[in-house]
Amino acid sequence: MRRAPGKGDLMTDKLILYKEHLNSFLRKITKGFELIAPVRNTYGDTLFEVIPSVDDVGIDLTNRPILSPKRFFMPQVETLFAYRYDKSGYTFKDTADNTPRVIFGLRSCDTRGILFYDLIFQEGLKDKYYLDRRRDTILINLGCNQPGENCFCKSAQSGPFLTYGYDIQLTDLGDRFFVEIGRPRGRELLAGWSYFFRPATQADIDAQYEAVLESEGRFRHRLDFDAAIEKLINQKVDPAIWEELGRRCQNCGGCAYVCPTCYCFNMFDSPCSEKEGERLRTWDACTFAGFSRLAGGYNPRQDKAQRIKRRFYHKLFYDKQKYNIPSCVGCGRCADICFGRIDMLSFIRLICEQKEKSPAPAHRRLGELLLEAGIISQKDLDSAIEKQAATGKPLGVQLVEMGVVDKEAIAGALGCQLKIPGTAKNVED
Amino acid sequence: MHSVLTTCPFCACGCGLYLHVENERIVGVTPSKKHPISRGNLCVKGWNSIEHVRHAERLREPLIRKNGKLFRTGWDQALKRVSLELLKIKKKYGGESIGILSSAKCTNEENYLLMKLGRAVLKTNNIDHCARLCHSPSVLGLTNAFGSGAMTNSISELAGAEVILVTGSNTTEQHPQIARFIFEALDKGAKLIVIDPRRIELSRFAHIHLRPRLGTDVIWLNGMMKIILDEGLLDDSFIKMRTENFPEFRKFLSRFDLGQVEAISGISLEDLGRAAKIYAGAKRAIIIYSMGITQHVSGTDNVESIANLAMMTGHVEQEITGVFPLRGQNNVQGACDMGALPGMLSGYQRVDDPAVLDKFSRAWNTGLPAAPGLSSVDMLHETGRIKGMFIMGENSMLSHPDMKNVRASMEHLDFLAVADIFLTETAEVADVILPAAAFAEKDGTVTSTERRIQRMRKAIPPVHLSKPDWQIIIELARRMGYPMDYESPAEVMEEIALLTPIYGGVYYDRLETIQGLQWPCPDRNHPGTTYLHKKSFARGKGLFSCIAYRPPDETPDKKYPFALTTGRVYEHWHTGTMTRRISILKRECPEGFIEISPADARALGIINGEPVKVISPRGEVTTRARLVEGLPGKTLFMPFHFREAPANALTNHAVDPQARIPELKICAVRLEKVT
Repeated sequence: MRRAPGKGDLMTDKLILYKEHLNSFLRKITKGFELIAPVRNTYGDTLFEVIPSVDDVGIDLTNRPILSPKRFFMPQVETLFAYRYDKSGYTFKDTADNTPRVIFGLRSCDTRGILFYDLIFQEGLKDKYYLDRRRDTILINLGCNQPGENCFCKSAQSGPFLTYGYDIQLTDLGDRFFVEIGRPRGRELLAGWSYFFRPATQADIDAQYEAVLESEGRFRHRLDFDAAIEKLINQKVDPAIWEELGRRCQNCGGCAYVCPTCYCFNMFDSPCSEKEGERLRTWDACTFAGFSRLAGGYNPRQDKAQRIKRRFYHKLFYDKQKYNIPSCVGCGRCADICFGRIDMLSFIRLICEQKEKSPAPAHRRLGELLLEAGIISQKDLDSAIEKQAATGKPLGVQLVEMGVVDKEAIAGALGCQLKIPGTAKNVED
Repeated sequence: MHSVLTTCPFCACGCGLYLHVENERIVGVTPSKKHPISRGNLCVKGWNSIEHVRHAERLREPLIRKNGKLFRTGWDQALKRVSLELLKIKKKYGGESIGILSSAKCTNEENYLLMKLGRAVLKTNNIDHCARLCHSPSVLGLTNAFGSGAMTNSISELAGAEVILVTGSNTTEQHPQIARFIFEALDKGAKLIVIDPRRIELSRFAHIHLRPRLGTDVIWLNGMMKIILDEGLLDDSFIKMRTENFPEFRKFLSRFDLGQVEAISGISLEDLGRAAKIYAGAKRAIIIYSMGITQHVSGTDNVESIANLAMMTGHVEQEITGVFPLRGQNNVQGACDMGALPGMLSGYQRVDDPAVLDKFSRAWNTGLPAAPGLSSVDMLHETGRIKGMFIMGENSMLSHPDMKNVRASMEHLDFLAVADIFLTETAEVADVILPAAAFAEKDGTVTSTERRIQRMRKAIPPVHLSKPDWQIIIELARRMGYPMDYESPAEVMEEIALLTPIYGGVYYDRLETIQGLQWPCPDRNHPGTTYLHKKSFARGKGLFSCIAYRPPDETPDKKYPFALTTGRVYEHWHTGTMTRRISILKRECPEGFIEISPADARALGIINGEPVKVISPRGEVTTRARLVEGLPGKTLFMPFHFREAPANALTNHAVDPQARIPELKICAVRLEKVT
């Protein structure tokens, strides 16, 4: 790591940086580091970008970037090494080429995502590709004064401000940033240009405290993660919910691609010729069928419903069990993009709102729903109820056996009955 | 690392995405959030649209065939050979013996230049592209009815629809990002009618799913219109004000016998009546259709019937109504717009219109052929007429029906040159193969299904020795003695704008926004057009046509008892040249298959996953059986992506007499167990 030039005068971990000095400070950073920050481009999108010169781009500290900066630690398509085969056997060439970097303006959710990656990529076999990049990167977190539309980091206990894990954390206090130093290399970075900073006063500390409190009061969504995890542990999620989620998932993989903590990858060799090639790894998603398909074609998670179930169990329950925190940082990006509403926000709401007892009395209501949707006629219903009296079978089963409806239509109607949002009343043939 | 905004290279949804570039390699994709279609997400293909660009099998240098074998060569030699051979054929047999296939995967500028090369230099109107296989009936049918062959409204309008009727489009799989808007409408309470022989993903959300027999669309459409007429659900004032020939059409419909509907199409009158009432009764209703409607010998009839239905109920000419032919390729709309069609110059200006021809002759400073040329089907299925071909970025060997026939025609050519990014099945039989640049390696524009003209931007330099197609065409033109002097695609667009009224206001500086421009955009100050036919149809009054039912060319018989229909899967793109080289997509769907209903499989003793032989009068293919619920009896489905199991070795090349589209959606086959 680059050493800071000269010994700075930073007597405290709480400092003030006036906004008018921000660009000057960032410009200094670019002299020794690759600076990465959120940039709003001319098309109106905000992305994390490498900033060659702070004066040429508009650093955007209002809008959160479309994706977290995870691609700077694990690119979507990454060359691990190049290989060559000749008479003497295989030779390998490392392709890693890391420069010291500073990521400025990450939000707490994204920083927490990276902290989660730290756990994953150090566990067991240490992932040198990730760790090299991580070691050379300083994180400057920007707490959120104004949570976004789908944000729920407070519920996920990963924001809107962090108490640990950052190298430096900023809080916007209007004309100035409240600066907190979290780790020694953060201090080292600031020490190089200590003249931009002054120690925070008690008034600044109070103002920061207020900003945090205010922000925490601004969340539109409050989710009960513990209750959701409890439901999963006790298998209390109605199977009809999984079925319905499976029905709505269109298998784009977007939820995993935008997730700051999803780390699954695929590795394969890409030969350039018979003698040379590269080993690549790419982002993967557990909701893809090929992710769990075995040689020979058998897939233990053949249905989308099973894969989605596994995804939520993994993120909420298994990771909580293993790492003591669920692997959701509450950034809400999946909720921003999933048109099927198979995102964390909708899911936790759905299962927490689900009533403990199965919604009774099912007979009449299922029949009514099917009738209302025009799936069955009054005659069908009457005759099913009549037969039911003799057979004692549930109404749905009775109707299917009579050949009046198929299972999918029943599943759709059950979805309505359970108030799963977006369930279309379903008619076929 | 830096990011470059471009347009997705797969389907015609036209999603905006950023390519992340590091050391001249693309290392990631981010969907644009502000883009009107991508809205922060992509489908699985879009998310994975980059790996093929640096694939080891990219063509590295030009290849030339000598004594039946391909050898590496330099650009100069390859270009010289192509220009000399084509000029030789032109001299010996005339321009009409040369055929050109342009590409819906290439940019507008490249399509424009190639059609210019064909018409101005090689003096041939035999220029076509894959729209022949997808929406030629839409271009023709909707032009006849409305005056414009394009999708009438914008994709995002779907979200506000009251009723959406989807027929012959597997929207969730083929246009996933358009399907998102359908789901949005459903969430707001819209009603969905799906009319498709197969049970598709969307039919699970449909309020009504009707399943006609393959190739019986005119019957149910006429039936539906007859019901609307009988029930008095038509929009009288719209018909009076905006359309013509309705009295004739009314007479025609009143003679239509509703009794035949169920017998021929298999749809009960009761169900059809329910659908008719929902569609006609809505204030804002949209019809989405795609290949299931067009790929028939009755393709144009089907499209014109859909136009009749929309006009009769007044569901066109306004926002959140209209007819949505979903175009397939990322630039199939643009390739049509640019005049890569045998009868039309850019902007649908007809070659047989003397004023048009005069305008282009003067602009291009040369005489032009006036007689409309041959369609791609005629070029590739009639051995002998065409002596030499230039094919840019199309893999006709796998995409055209009746592969054996296509191969024979290609092999019979005196000369074939192909420009592509991989050694495709078509390139394998070429005399010269030119390595082209991929989408991320060049600048240009593409036009999505909603007529949205957007930039494709160069993110990395072309790999190896490959060149963008527009440069290849310029080089060829120069060698053929017709210098084309363009510094950049932007300069080509300036010429397009001057000569093409619907693109009249399209300039590169205006395309530096996230939403691009939707044509018609006649001048520099015009904001573009979100929906067509506002206040008046492009042709003046909408035209009703009386359409009689024409049965499919080939139906099952004793020897070939099954009907085979073809299509695509979600994870792959057309002939698979790109998607089958992308690791995640390849893994998701590694190989071809044939879908069969469990009952039919049982009758033949076929189990799931077992290899079967599929035999049609034209060829046979061995692939794996996949047992699926939701297929009608005696009906099979096969995707056409897979070279090892090419569905098009089986399909029929009988064509729609008007649009010349082959009947890819139904042919007769039999199944045998492989022992």
